[in-house]
Formats: sequence, C-alpha cells, structure tokens
Amino acid sequence: MAAAAATMVSSAGGLLAMLNESHPQLKFHALSNLISFVDQFWPEISTSVPIIESLYEDEEFGQHQRQLAALLVSKVFYYLGELNDSLSYALGAGPLFDVSEDSDYVHTLLAKAIDEYASLRSKAAESSDEAAKVDPRLEAIVERMLDKCIMDEKYQQAMGIAIECRRLDKLEEAITRSDNVHGTLAYCINVSHSYVYRREFRREVLQLLVKVYQQLPSPDYLSICQCLMFLDEPEGVANILEKLLRSENKEDALLAFQVTFDLVENEHQAFLLNVRDRLSAPKSLPSESVQPVPNDPTPAQNENPTAPEDIQMTDGSAAASTNVHEADPKEVMYAERLTKIKGILSGETSIQLTLQFLYSHNKSDLLILKTIKQSVEMRNSICHSATIYANAIMHAGTTVDTFLRDNLDWLSRATNWAKFSATAGLGVIHRGHLQQGRSLMAPYLPQGGAGGGGSPYSEGGALYALGLIHANHGEGIKQFLRDSLRSTNVEVIQHGACLGLGLAALGTADEEIYDDIKSVLYTDSAVAGEAAGISMGLLMVGTASEKASEMLAYAHETQHEKIIRGLALGIALTVYGREEEADTLIEQMTRDQDPILRYGGMYALALAYRGTANNKAIRQLLHFAVSDVSDDVRRTAVLALGFVLYSEPEQTPRIVSLLSESYNPHVRYGAALAVGISCAGTGLSEAISLLEPLTSDVVDFVRQGALIAMAMVMVQINGASDSRVGTFRRQLEKIILDKHEDTMSKMGAILASGILDAGGRNVTIRLLSKTKHDKVTAVVGLAVFSQFWYWYPLIYFVSLSFSPTAFIGLNYDLKVPRFEFLSHAKPSLFEYPKPTTVPTTTSAVKLPTAVLSTSAKAKARAKKEAEQKASAEKSSGAESLSTGPSTGKGKSSGEKDGEAMQVDNLPEKKAEPEPSFEVLINPARVVPAQEKFIKFLEDSRYVPVKLAPSGFVLLRDLRPDEPEVLSLTDAPASTASPAGGSAAGQQSSSSAMAVDDEPQPPQPFEYTS
Amino acid sequence: MDPQLTEVSQLFERFKAAFIRNDYDSCANLLSQLKVLLTKFRSLPPLFENTPNAINELLLAREIYEHAVVLSVKIEDQDAFERDFFQLKPYYTDAGSRLPPSPQEYPILGLNLLRLLVQNRIAEFHTELELLSATALENPCIKHAVELEQSFMEGAYNRVLSARQTAPHETYVYFMDLLAKTVRDEIAGCSEKAYDYLSIDDARQMLLFSFDQELLEYIKEEHPEWEVKNGFVFLQKAKESAPCKEIPSLQLINQTLSYARELERIV
Repeated sequence: MAAAAATMVSSAGGLLAMLNESHPQLKFHALSNLISFVDQFWPEISTSVPIIESLYEDEEFGQHQRQLAALLVSKVFYYLGELNDSLSYALGAGPLFDVSEDSDYVHTLLAKAIDEYASLRSKAAESSDEAAKVDPRLEAIVERMLDKCIMDEKYQQAMGIAIECRRLDKLEEAITRSDNVHGTLAYCINVSHSYVYRREFRREVLQLLVKVYQQLPSPDYLSICQCLMFLDEPEGVANILEKLLRSENKEDALLAFQVTFDLVENEHQAFLLNVRDRLSAPKSLPSESVQPVPNDPTPAQNENPTAPEDIQMTDGSAAASTNVHEADPKEVMYAERLTKIKGILSGETSIQLTLQFLYSHNKSDLLILKTIKQSVEMRNSICHSATIYANAIMHAGTTVDTFLRDNLDWLSRATNWAKFSATAGLGVIHRGHLQQGRSLMAPYLPQGGAGGGGSPYSEGGALYALGLIHANHGEGIKQFLRDSLRSTNVEVIQHGACLGLGLAALGTADEEIYDDIKSVLYTDSAVAGEAAGISMGLLMVGTASEKASEMLAYAHETQHEKIIRGLALGIALTVYGREEEADTLIEQMTRDQDPILRYGGMYALALAYRGTANNKAIRQLLHFAVSDVSDDVRRTAVLALGFVLYSEPEQTPRIVSLLSESYNPHVRYGAALAVGISCAGTGLSEAISLLEPLTSDVVDFVRQGALIAMAMVMVQINGASDSRVGTFRRQLEKIILDKHEDTMSKMGAILASGILDAGGRNVTIRLLSKTKHDKVTAVVGLAVFSQFWYWYPLIYFVSLSFSPTAFIGLNYDLKVPRFEFLSHAKPSLFEYPKPTTVPTTTSAVKLPTAVLSTSAKAKARAKKEAEQKASAEKSSGAESLSTGPSTGKGKSSGEKDGEAMQVDNLPEKKAEPEPSFEVLINPARVVPAQEKFIKFLEDSRYVPVKLAPSGFVLLRDLRPDEPEVLSLTDAPASTASPAGGSAAGQQSSSSAMAVDDEPQPPQPFEYTS
Repeated sequence: MDPQLTEVSQLFERFKAAFIRNDYDSCANLLSQLKVLLTKFRSLPPLFENTPNAINELLLAREIYEHAVVLSVKIEDQDAFERDFFQLKPYYTDAGSRLPPSPQEYPILGLNLLRLLVQNRIAEFHTELELLSATALENPCIKHAVELEQSFMEGAYNRVLSARQTAPHETYVYFMDLLAKTVRDEIAGCSEKAYDYLSIDDARQMLLFSFDQELLEYIKEEHPEWEVKNGFVFLQKAKESAPCKEIPSLQLINQTLSYARELERIV
C-alpha cells in the first residue's frame, strides 16, 4: 500500500479528546503527541487551551508532564500571536524549552525573552532598587542562551546580549573565552560607544574592559588609555605612560608618545592637564631607581632639570638634589622622555606641528577672495564683514594674512563691531600660534591702564582673538585675559575679554575666572552680559556644576534678551555630554515660559546627548520642532538634531528630510544646518541631495543656511569624487556676483566659500576623533557657531571644529622625518581643487596689472568661459591641458607659472595617463575619504607604531644608524618655496617667513580711516 | 504474533465477555487499561507508523474504540461518548482507505449525529453531515438522524417523538429519550414567550404528554417558576421580569453626528 505510508492525521480532535481521559498516562500520551503536531493543528488546539492550562496547573500531575503542557500552551499562544502569554508559559516549560532548537518559535521567543530580560534589568538598574525582581526562570533562559553563544563561538552575539542585559559577568566571560581577545575587545569598545545609551552603564562596561585589557599578556595600551580617558581616570593613564617611559625599550617610549597623541586628539584639556600633573618626576637617588616601581610616590622627588613645567616640585627639593645630579642614565633617559611627553600632553607639540603643516601646505586661493571683494558693494557692511570672515576661515591656522595686508585700505572700512570682528579674525588666522600669539596681537591690545588711543572695538576684538589663538590651550594667556577683563569697564572690551577667556579656559572650571566673569554678568550690560553668559558655559563645559542653576536664576532676573540668550547657551554648555544626568535641567528649561530659555533647552538637549543618537532625545527634539510656538525654538530643535546625530551622519538626512519641506522657513533653516553639522566633511550624497533644493529656497535666510551647510558638508571634497561640488562652487560664485541677490544669501555664499576652502584647504570639520570619541572643542565650537544667527562675531567659533587632515609621521625626537607611503587611489580623486583662476594666473604673470583693471563682470565671464573652454585657451598658450586626465600635467604647467611649492610635496613623475596610486611624503595631506587607501610601504625605513592612516603617527626607525632626513621642521630649503603661495604674481611675500621655520609675527598695521 | 498485540487481544476478549454480561464497571476498568496499552502501538493515530502489524493493530484498536463508544451509550455518559468517538474517528477518516469497512461505522456516525442533535449543537451537526459521502447519507442510520433534524427544525415535534419507535439500532433509544426532552424544553420555552397562561389541558397537549400527572411532574422539575392555579398554568411571571429595554436613540444619533463632524475635520 503505497498510500499507507502517506497516511496523515487530518485532525487533532482525537488527541484533544484523549486529554479529557482520566488516566494520566493517556493524558501524557496525548500531550506528547500534540506537541509534535502543534505546528499543524494549532487552530484546533487553541480551543482546548483552557484544558491544557489546567493540566499545567494541576499539582497532581508529574513535573515533566506539567512542563510539557506548558510548552504546548506556549506554542499555541505563539501561533496565536500572544507573545507575552507564550513567553510566560515557555518559562514554565523549564528545560523543555530548547534554546538551541532552530525554529521560528524558539527564535521569536528567545528574542522576546532577551528583550524582556534586558528591559527588566535596565529598569532595575535605573530605579537602583533591587526589589524589582527578575523572574529567575527568565534569567535561566537568557543565561542558557548566552552559554550557548559562547559554546558556539558566537562571541559577538554573546557580548551583544550581555551588554543589552547588563550582565557584565557574562560579558567578561565572553571576552576572555574568545579566541581573538584583542579583536573582541575592540569590537566591544565600539559597541559600548554606539549602543550603550546609559552613561553610567557604559562606564561600567569600560571599566570591565580596562580590567580585561590589563590581564592580557600584551595589553593594548592605546585602547586602554582611550577607555581610561572616557572613565576620567588620569591616574591610570599616568601609570601606564610612566611604565612605558621607564622601559628600556625605545619602542615603548614611542608607544607612549603615540598614546599621548591619541589622547590629545580628543581635546579633553582638563583631563590631559591632570595626567600631566600626575606623572612623577624622575628620581635620581640610585637606591630608589633600582626598583622601577612606576608610580611610587616617594617624597624624594628631585630636581628635574628637563621638565621646567614642574616648578613647584623643583622648588621643594632643589637643595637635596644637586649632589646626586647625574645619578642614573635610566633616570636621565626618563627625564628626557618626560619632557617630550609633557610637551605632547600640553598640546603644544601637536599644535606646533599642525601649524607648520598648515603653513607649509597652505593652498588657499586668494583669487576667490579677490573676486568676492570686488563684487561686494562698498557700502554693504554685512557683505564686507562676511568677506573678512571668509578670509579668516580660509586661512584659519595658516598664519597667512596676506589678504588683509594687501587690502588695508579696504579693510579700514570696517567700523565698530565690524572692526571688532576684523581684529578677531586675526586670531583665527593665527590659531595655534601659541608662542607668539600675544606679540602678534600686541598692537591692538588694550594698553595697560593708559587708556591708549586704540578703539575699544579693536581692543575687544584682539582679546577675543587671543582666546581663539589659545582655544583650549590657554594656560599661558589666562592670566593676561583676566587682568584685561578686570581693568576695563568698557562693555565692548569686556565682551571680547569674556569670549577670549572662555575659549582659553575651555572646560577648566576655574573658580576664580568664573567669579571674574560673573561680576561682569552682574553689571547687567547687554553686550558684555551676553558674552559673559557664553563664557561661563565655555568655562564649565561638561561639568554639570550647580553653577547652572545660578545662571538660570539670573536669566530669569534680567531684562536683557541678549543676556538671557547668552546664559541659555551657557547653561546648555555646562551639561555637555552628561546625557541622563542633564535631564532635570533640560526639563526645567524646556518648560520655561520664556522662549529664549526653551531655546537654550534645545541646545542643552543637543549637547547633553551629542553624538549619542539617543532615541529619547531625538523624539523630544522632533516634538519641539513641530509643536513649540516660538520659531526660534523650533529652528533650534531641528538644528539640535544635527548634534545628536553626528555620530551617525547617514541617519540625519533621512530624519530631517520631511522637516526640510516644512512650510515654516525656520524649520527648513534648522534642517539645513542640522545636516550641515552632522554630515560635516563627509560629502554624503544624501546630504547634498537634501541641501541642493534648499540652496534655491524662496526665503533668503534659508538659502543662507543651506549654502553654509552645503559648504560644511563639502569641505575638502573635490570635483572628481562628486561632480556636484563643482556645480556648487559655480553657484556660490553666481550668487556673489549677482547684484540683485539678497544680502542674507550673499553673506551665506561668501561664508560658504570661506568654509569650503577652510584652513588653506587642509582642514575638515570633524566632530569625532579617530577613536570615535567626541571632540569637545569641535562640538562646542559648532554649537556656538550656530548662534551666529544673532551675533555675527560668533562665526569665528567654527574654527574650533577644524581639524587638519594630515598624516604627520614623527620619529623618536618628535621630528618629522622624510618618509614615503602610498595612497592607493587615483591622485585626482583627492587632489586640491584646481585654482579657480588657472587662466588668470597665467596672464597675471605676464601682465600683473591686467587683473586689477578687469571689471568684476568681465572677470566672471572670463572665468566661466575658462571653465568651459579651458582646453581651448590652454592650447593657445602652447600647453595643452585636457581638463581631466592628469595631475602630473596640471602640475607641470603650474610649475611653469611659478608655483614651485608642490615640487617636493607631490609626485610629478610622469604625464602619462593618470596613475592608480600616488606616493605621499610625510607630512602629507590625507583627506578623510582617502584614509582607506593609505598603505605603508613594506621596505620603508620607518614603520608606524600604530597603523593609522592620518593624524600623528609615531614611526619606528629600523635603521637608526643612518642619518635622518627631516622633511618639515629643519628643512629651510623646502619651506622656502611656499613664499610663492598660490597666487605668486600678486603676493608680496615677506621673505622672513621663508627663512625661519616659525613664521614671524606680521608687521602691525593700522586702520586708517 | 506480537506479544503486545496478543496481550491486548486477550484483554479485549475479557472486555467483550464483561460487556455481554452487562458488567459495566469492570468494562470501564478494562477499557481504561486497554487504552493505555494502545498508546504503545506506534502504528495508531496520530503517528501512523508503518509497522508490520499495522493493519491488525489498527483493526483491533478500531474495534476497541467502537465498543468504547457503545459502552458509553450504555452507561449513558455523553462526555465519554464524545471522547471515545473523537478517538475513533481517525480510524474512519484517516485510516479508512487501508482498512476493510467496519459494520459499526454508520450506526456510530448516526449516533454521533443524534448526540449533537440532543445537545442542540446544530452547527456541528451540519459540519459532520457535510463530511459524509453520498452513499453514507443513504444509510438508514444516518438517514434517520437527518430526518429527525429536519422534523426538529420544521417544528414537527410530534414526528420527532414518534420516531422513537422507528429507531434503527437499540443504542439509539437512549438518545431518542433525551431528544424528547429537548423537544419539550423547546416547546416550553416557546410557550413561555407566546402565552401568559394556558389551561392544563392545553398545556398537556402542547407539551405532548399523555397524562396530567406527567405534566405536573415536568413543571415541578424543570420549570418551578410556573404557577399551577385553578386549572391553569401561569407562564407569564417570567415574562415580567425581563422588561424590554428602550433603545437610546437620541444619544446614538448625537454620537453618529459628532463622528461625522470629526471625520470631516480630519480630512
């Protein structure tokens, strides 16, 4: 009987009937059979669920049978879609619920169980109340699941579940049992940053990770120190550094330097200072140095001739030290290394190197500025100062102030606040010029007490400029700024001094400075008070101190909107990065009657949850974006989304896309800036698509916002990787040249051109460090920058968010040796944008006056034509430059025009079809998109300590005996070339700059009226 | 022969002997043992494994369950009947093609239909009916049940009562008695709604009793709320207790209008 084999039951009725039999064995038989048929007959069984349930509850019934009944009911409920009931019965089924079974039922219920468990655990953790009991059966299931994952070597899965469920014990087990502990740890760090939303719990996870790391035979100090930094444990970092520094091995010292550079990149000033202060001074007593206990706090700390920072230590034991001076070579070595590391920790080393890099690689296109200058109407002061802003941003950190110098006459049209900004602009240009900052600004600074002849506006601006120069590294300048603040009662100067002080002492929470600023605030002057409010916030960044309530109280008291606004932003700054801790304050602000404080509340949300992509924060912001009555609040709420989401830039365009089509122009403006902030420097295609229509919006300020945002997104992206960049540049030019364009959007376009070519085309806007930590300075900078809606001078804060896109390799002496590496991509993808004025430059060489005499219009036409028919023009110039094919060719033509600058920095070996790789020479510009193509040569003399494609990288010298060739610092021959700049013909470069590796302070210039 | 099978067969023989003796207690006892033994056979539903003795085992099991059904009728246990019938059913439906037809099949199916009729589960009755083939419907046992149902639905209650005499199988009598009671209950329910009171004579005729005594007994047992007075049976007491509820029309209208308004606003 063939059919016999296929005999199937058509109904579960018989089995169900059997359940009602009185004999327990029959019931059991029925149950076990029903289990195997439940997938098919659950609709029939579902009507009998009550009977099965009663079997489960029947005390007389055997344990196994009851569990069987529970499993059956659970499955039926699962099919009925009642997951909660299903889960509770599955728990009743005990061991019969097999977590390793591969069925939808098990998968679904497991997911449900884990969710349930995770939410219970986190609820228990949040209420910090052990009373919230977790069903032990649930716990058992989850544990079984975890064990299974670990057994199956699915460590990532296990770690994910363990983190979700806050089971640190299991997490540790998963990590230690995995085969690749380093990989797992790295994964775990990543996960804990992107998916652990509660701050305290993240701390716990990281603490655990540090613990695990330290147990490893070969700890990964780079990662440990990153964790420790997050945990704010300078002690631990100091210990590690000291251990490495004291090591015999030179490589360990290199590693220590590398660790420090990585820490510095996160810009956590207070932390770094702490670490620095905790590094113990070298001991020179031989008896003690025998035992190399790294952190032995012996009182006999001796003179430290090479660490001049430690003045207080030196003082104490100077007398005792002299006799045991050169005791131990080890100590001498340690002392030497210590000096270096302190230099790095204070940020000076990296700032100096960055400065040199930006100066030597400056590729800013002065012709763009010239065009802007000429096309802007003389009387239009907004555009006039916008041009000054654009210049400052373009040259941020390069110390090149040629443009200002060449146009003193034009510059002098800046009066009052414009003068303030013009002076402050110098600070942006000389950003990081720590040593000479003060002497640079000296001509404009208030002359002590004499009440000098300078205008208060330029004096105030100069103080602000000092702050910008020393932003986040203000050790040396703080005192001076304080004195200036105290010695004046002119509100403009107070304004500048407050801003400067806030910048210089960013996040240090210095009580004395705070009191000084507070006294300015209490004078209740609108101009000074606004700056004071912001400054207090800058000072207290991320401290969540109770000062916030003091500020809030004053904000309620004062009548001046400006002061309230300043304070609102200041309060928001204090809760930077505090996540849940800030909730009460945020609640308080967002419920305030005063729209300005609600507006501050939006900033508080943005900053407290910066880069966390926290769902709660996003929900709240979206709610305010559509429901608040004040346009300002709505605009800010949307804008704030950009800050919350900057760690996941791909998300932002999607989330704000609807808002960008809002009928309310303020919301559209906010959406544009949100995209600009979170996608800054990414060149993300979706972001550009979203912004494109907004750049031709009907409302002028929306256009302004969209242009600025677009520039932020496109910074350092060149036409070869996204053709829309070229289009955008042309659009900017068109707007600037258009006589009938609104001032607002014109200003936006001018600023956008500045941002697009920021920092001599060598910086990008980056809010996350390479280790995915947030960069405090950068985020704060952008937050205050977004305030320029009310107060233009705040535009300069954008310079805080610039970070150089460079690979800077350093040797043991922290010098930049000559070192080659590969960029495995077509050079044209990442090269500098071509100078806008290739044809004009050529003519400029021949006829220097031609440019000046051309009217702006004719020039624009010429330029447009040039773009279209570049080849035609070129061919007439006895040099065929087909636009696309080769950089080599472009370069060689450039060479002829006198641009000798790139000669030793960029390859120009051949003019054949474009090569598929490029050899870069340390230090080199490496744009973020290029990072994945960077390869290190295998037979190179130097080997990087850490395989990082950009940033500061320590190099290990494999052939230490050979003489080193330094490529940046001590090579006057190579630095001499930038004298030409990019627009060689017009630039009367000061020869002094070329000779010294440090650019000299520029000659003071006077405003003539 | 398989020892298990032999054991079951022997036990079954003892069961049959007891059955014939009408020793129902020991029958129930033996039956329960038999059922437990049957669970050991893997060829039986729902597993239907193809063991060498499958056909024999299936046949034996079927016979046991058939007897179980009949037994349950004999001891007048409707729940047991239902249970056993459902366990028997797969032997007819799923294994029917492999086994020679059983002589008991139609009488038992008919019994089941009758049971559903008695329990007034008309929907299930028709479901079962739909599952039967045309030939099955011709079978007198089935036909009997079907006709009963028709009479019952038409309200030809006298025909229902008289059908007791034409029952095709002796086991049917039990259900026919029950059916008569169902019919009476139905009539009583209707009369309650239809009349305020009835003379005893009319009531007797209405409820199809031959003697007044039977009527009074029935009233006493089933409808103690009826009142027998002066040769009349008063039924309406029950009626008063359930006043007709007024429909809150005004409120409904208002609600509907407001919904309409809201809807308009949303669009």
